[in-house]
Amino acid sequence: MDSVKIALTVNGRRHEREVEPRRLLSDFLREDLRLTGTHLACEHGVCGSCTILMNGQTARSCLTFAVMADGAEITTIEGLGSVENMHPLQAAFWEKHGLQCGFCTPGMLMSALELLRENPDASSEEIHQALAGNLCRCTGYQTIVEAVEAAAETMRGAER
Amino acid sequence: MKPAPFDYVRADSVEGALSALAEQPEARVLAGGQSLIAMMNLRLLKPGCLIDINRLSELDYIRAEGDELAIGALTRHTAAATSPLVAEHCPLMTAAYGHIANRAVRNRGTVGGNLCHADPASENPAVAIASGATLVLTSLDGERRIAAEDFFLSLYETAAEQNELLTEIRIPKAPANQGWSFQEVSTRKGDFALVGVAATLDCPNGTCSDARVVAVGVGERAERLGAAETAIKGAVVDEAGLAAAAAAARDAVDPPSDFHADSEFRRDLVFTLTRRALGEAHGRCGKGG
Amino acid sequence: MTLDAYIPPSRQTEKPRESYQWIGKSMKRVEDPRLLVGRGIFADDINLPEMAHAAILRSPHAHAVIKSIDKSKAEALPGVLCVMTGADAAKYTGPLPSWANPPVHQHCIAQDKVRHVGEAVAAVVAETRYIAEDACDLIEVAYEPLPAVVDLEAALSSTGDAVLHPYRGDTNVALARTFTFGTVEEDFAKADRVIERRFRWPRSGGTPMETHGAVASYDPGTGKFTIHANTSMYNYCGWMIADSLGVPAHKLNIIPTLAGGSFGAKLFSHKPCVLAATLARATDRPVKFMEDRIDNTTGCDAHGSDRVYYAKLAIQDDGTLLSLKTHIIDDYGAYFQFGVGQHGNALSQCVGPYQINSVEVALEAVLTNKCQQGAYRGFGSEVANFVIERLVDGAAAELGMDVVDIRRKNFITPDQFPYLIPTGNMYDSGNYQAVLDEALELSEYESWRAKQAEMRKEGRYVGIGVATCQERSVFSTTEFWMWNLEPGGEWTSSPDAVSLKIDPTGKAFVTLHSPFWGNSPETVAVQVLAEQLTLDPSNIEVTYSDSDHGFNSTGPGGSRFTVMVAGAVVGAAHQLKKKLLRIAGHLMEADTADLEFRDGAVSLKGAPDKRLTIAELANTAHYFRLDLPEDMDLTSGLDASYVYDHPVTTLPAKDNSHLGIFYPIMGHMCHIPVIEVDIETGKISFLNYAAVHDCGTMVNPMTLKGHVRGGVVNGIGSALMEHYHYDETGQLQNSLFTDYLVPSIMESPSDIKIGHVVTPSPFTEYGIKGGGEGGRMGAPPALAAAIEDALRPLGVTIDELPLSPNRLRRLIREAQGRS
Repeated sequence: MDSVKIALTVNGRRHEREVEPRRLLSDFLREDLRLTGTHLACEHGVCGSCTILMNGQTARSCLTFAVMADGAEITTIEGLGSVENMHPLQAAFWEKHGLQCGFCTPGMLMSALELLRENPDASSEEIHQALAGNLCRCTGYQTIVEAVEAAAETMRGAER
Repeated sequence: MKPAPFDYVRADSVEGALSALAEQPEARVLAGGQSLIAMMNLRLLKPGCLIDINRLSELDYIRAEGDELAIGALTRHTAAATSPLVAEHCPLMTAAYGHIANRAVRNRGTVGGNLCHADPASENPAVAIASGATLVLTSLDGERRIAAEDFFLSLYETAAEQNELLTEIRIPKAPANQGWSFQEVSTRKGDFALVGVAATLDCPNGTCSDARVVAVGVGERAERLGAAETAIKGAVVDEAGLAAAAAAARDAVDPPSDFHADSEFRRDLVFTLTRRALGEAHGRCGKGG
Repeated sequence: MTLDAYIPPSRQTEKPRESYQWIGKSMKRVEDPRLLVGRGIFADDINLPEMAHAAILRSPHAHAVIKSIDKSKAEALPGVLCVMTGADAAKYTGPLPSWANPPVHQHCIAQDKVRHVGEAVAAVVAETRYIAEDACDLIEVAYEPLPAVVDLEAALSSTGDAVLHPYRGDTNVALARTFTFGTVEEDFAKADRVIERRFRWPRSGGTPMETHGAVASYDPGTGKFTIHANTSMYNYCGWMIADSLGVPAHKLNIIPTLAGGSFGAKLFSHKPCVLAATLARATDRPVKFMEDRIDNTTGCDAHGSDRVYYAKLAIQDDGTLLSLKTHIIDDYGAYFQFGVGQHGNALSQCVGPYQINSVEVALEAVLTNKCQQGAYRGFGSEVANFVIERLVDGAAAELGMDVVDIRRKNFITPDQFPYLIPTGNMYDSGNYQAVLDEALELSEYESWRAKQAEMRKEGRYVGIGVATCQERSVFSTTEFWMWNLEPGGEWTSSPDAVSLKIDPTGKAFVTLHSPFWGNSPETVAVQVLAEQLTLDPSNIEVTYSDSDHGFNSTGPGGSRFTVMVAGAVVGAAHQLKKKLLRIAGHLMEADTADLEFRDGAVSLKGAPDKRLTIAELANTAHYFRLDLPEDMDLTSGLDASYVYDHPVTTLPAKDNSHLGIFYPIMGHMCHIPVIEVDIETGKISFLNYAAVHDCGTMVNPMTLKGHVRGGVVNGIGSALMEHYHYDETGQLQNSLFTDYLVPSIMESPSDIKIGHVVTPSPFTEYGIKGGGEGGRMGAPPALAAAIEDALRPLGVTIDELPLSPNRLRRLIREAQGRS
């Protein structure tokens, strides 16, 4: 179980580290890089709280070994936007009350981001499908859908 | 909930993967890892070695080759689910993807890895059997081909030997006029099926000339329901014909009970979903061929 | 006794108003920005220098004697700092806190015996969680299995080896008691009919996305523990954790983190705190213990109610409801931390919104080999709602009455408030007729009834449910001990506190003495304080105290936080406002009676340009003592604190004739779902869902709606999917999220229509009522009614949840077999 050297880009910043092969990407991000916005809720791939973008596509960071991300571009919630300069999705979740405890929110935002990048005109049904792998215990989901719809509109406006 | 330690081999070529497999009798292949890593996190599996094949881009393709659709084993579910070639030549698989997991898992999970995992409630084994797929297993000794129907042996158990790597899935192109359907009931969307039924149907003149019916969630593996196929073949596909086939399907299974679904419920579902699947497939049949 | 003598006078100082500046606004939450950018600090995000990680070895047995534990291999593993058994832990740590009387002893690591699957048998501290789990795999434990007690009715007659806690007697019945309120026998004797049913409410749980956890450290120099945790009640009874740890209360500081949801589950959450602290002391390192999901599902100490009801409702042929008798058996699992507080809770509103003259409740609380009960959104009252609504629907069906008509006929009327129910609890205010009317309109009830008739002709199974339920809010602590046979811990205070200051630049700082649970306490505090001071919310900062600095503060739970935070903010703000007015009056040479707060300043009434801003006054208050009036009581600075007591609590009667007032701030709701059943697959689809709530004056309609919708989906989970399923050997069959089915977006209605009726409370500041739990307290009976209505052509009766496809299909198959 020798450590393996990996190099990857996280939120635009390059990192080179030695990791045990069994180290989960989720723990690598949270503990090694101190990016604690990616949350762990089930660690067996059901809840979606640990969702990140890997080379532009969503992935469960709890179902990915850090060694599998060698050479990858990772985006976590910390790379999406800041309090001063929120991404339209973050702004819309705030505006539409798309969160309560905020624990599932980073994963939810990552799934929504993937959707809107691919499909700026996503329908309500498509939003539902895209978020089907992200459990939220607080909101009942309705305002999350409204937030994604509102963000899509903002993002379409910015394109013009 | 963290995995036990293991040795890690990153394969840079198919040959390299096969050599590593031959050398490491305890090794398991790491493809998308969407089932494997979950089971390792739970320590239900503690493989001594993982051979990571994620770099083998030569196994990531979807091609039409003659009468067949060839899908590389490392093809991600998302690619297969959205592939126009799959939609054209194996629409049953495209339909099944409406029930499979969620986007993040489909992004990483692979077609080959999913088949090798051989979960009895997983959808694609039924698709492979119903569409008459052949699986290509490769080892240092060469290649061998096995019908999907013979590949799935039992719970998480396949006909692949320890030194073999599933490299390709070859699916006969669906005839232009063939109908298809994938019906499933799960308590929650994207979860494994309580019961799922895959069906293809050829019905040139209102009478069924050929059909395949495969169920998942009814036993230790995806099961082809020959009795239902026999019942519908040669029959007029109407309510009575569908009900007869569905009844034959129900009588052919002896599903297990668990707290999600007892055996009687699963049998009910086999009946209903077989009827619905053959009915929907019939609705999609072209009439001419 | 007259009502005047029974009901204390109101302490409301802020009357409900026609209009407000900030209260009632759907303001964006102040909690959100840090959460949206991934910078909220939850328990697992705490990282201390030299911190080590703990994992627990969980019992694979439901009930067994621990014969021996060999930890030598685990201790030998590199990176392992400590392997602790229950016997080792006993050197450092006593039993966990318990409100039961007599108590049931529970330890953070099992001693001698395990009593449920998942109970900690040993704990390992290592340099990483990975190594800690490796070491757990190396611990060898020899068990001698004991009989597993799983079925709650069988548990009534357990003896011998099957008894979980023999020191409490040769029985698993933890408490058995009957309360009779009013003329029950007479009312049953005069009844035309009795509706009699057996109901089964299954064990589910709040199951927040974030598990419970703590990071603890111990300073041998000061002898003091510090614990960061997603706990609650640490300023109310944190000393109980110190007691477990064997230190005086001032040698423990508990620092709250954000909690990633609770829904009741994190009420106290003391076990992870005690475990992490014990391990920290043993290793002389800071230790993090976060439950993983299996730790949580099998051992969170927060499973929900698990009850059988034998219920009888006495009625007249004209639909009048007379009297209610219930015999309840409740499966508490292996321990008994809150006693039967859940049944104290249920007695607060057990007659629902109806005029029912008398009530008898017989309870048998049993202990079984399962994870123990805690709190889950409703804390037992959600079950009582289900039972009364099922009975009323049963009465309507028996009499051939419309489900709406029978409710209207029996509702308490607006002129009857304040209203005492037979148990002695008070309903403060309400207008149930208005809520029902609003719900019928919002749901387009009549139109759906017409559509339903058409769809039924097409062979579709469409049903409409109507549930009119109570939503008690603002618990008082008496609910925890009123059932006790022997006195014990008879607390009567359950306050919440804030401290408040305005700094020399005019910025306001609110310190909450209770934590964030996923609700919106910061936003509530900001809106109420902005209302009080006419300050813009952007000038207000909210933080949380630790227990070293905290005041008596009970915390969220029982839908109390909005009312209590508002009350405490008002109390503290009044103190500051008084001082600000005095200073302003002095500086402006005006009578304080002629001054008012307006736009962040104190100004002369009728001459708003004659003003001093709060910032100017604060600056003076801080730095210019000699400009202040000469008064020994008027010190420099602007700070205040206020402990806001529960608005109306009275003692239970010594003769048990009533239980006093303990849950008086009474909300109400009407839920009307329209669903369709696929009778071949047992799957449900939502065609419509409307919910109208009356939570008194609304502080923030947007967040209240959020609570209702979220609660509805929790209720959908309880009604249709969720069930902690133990097999006959006591194995939890669904400890994973693959099998414990929390609703996803695909199982949730895409449009839950929310309406409000506002009937202010006469007892709380501004007339606010709580609304945190209502959704889950209304959805299950409404869905059961809708499904029963859909299946009416088949004659199916719904008495048991969850209505999974499996259960529904079985009911349908049986009905089809009958016909």
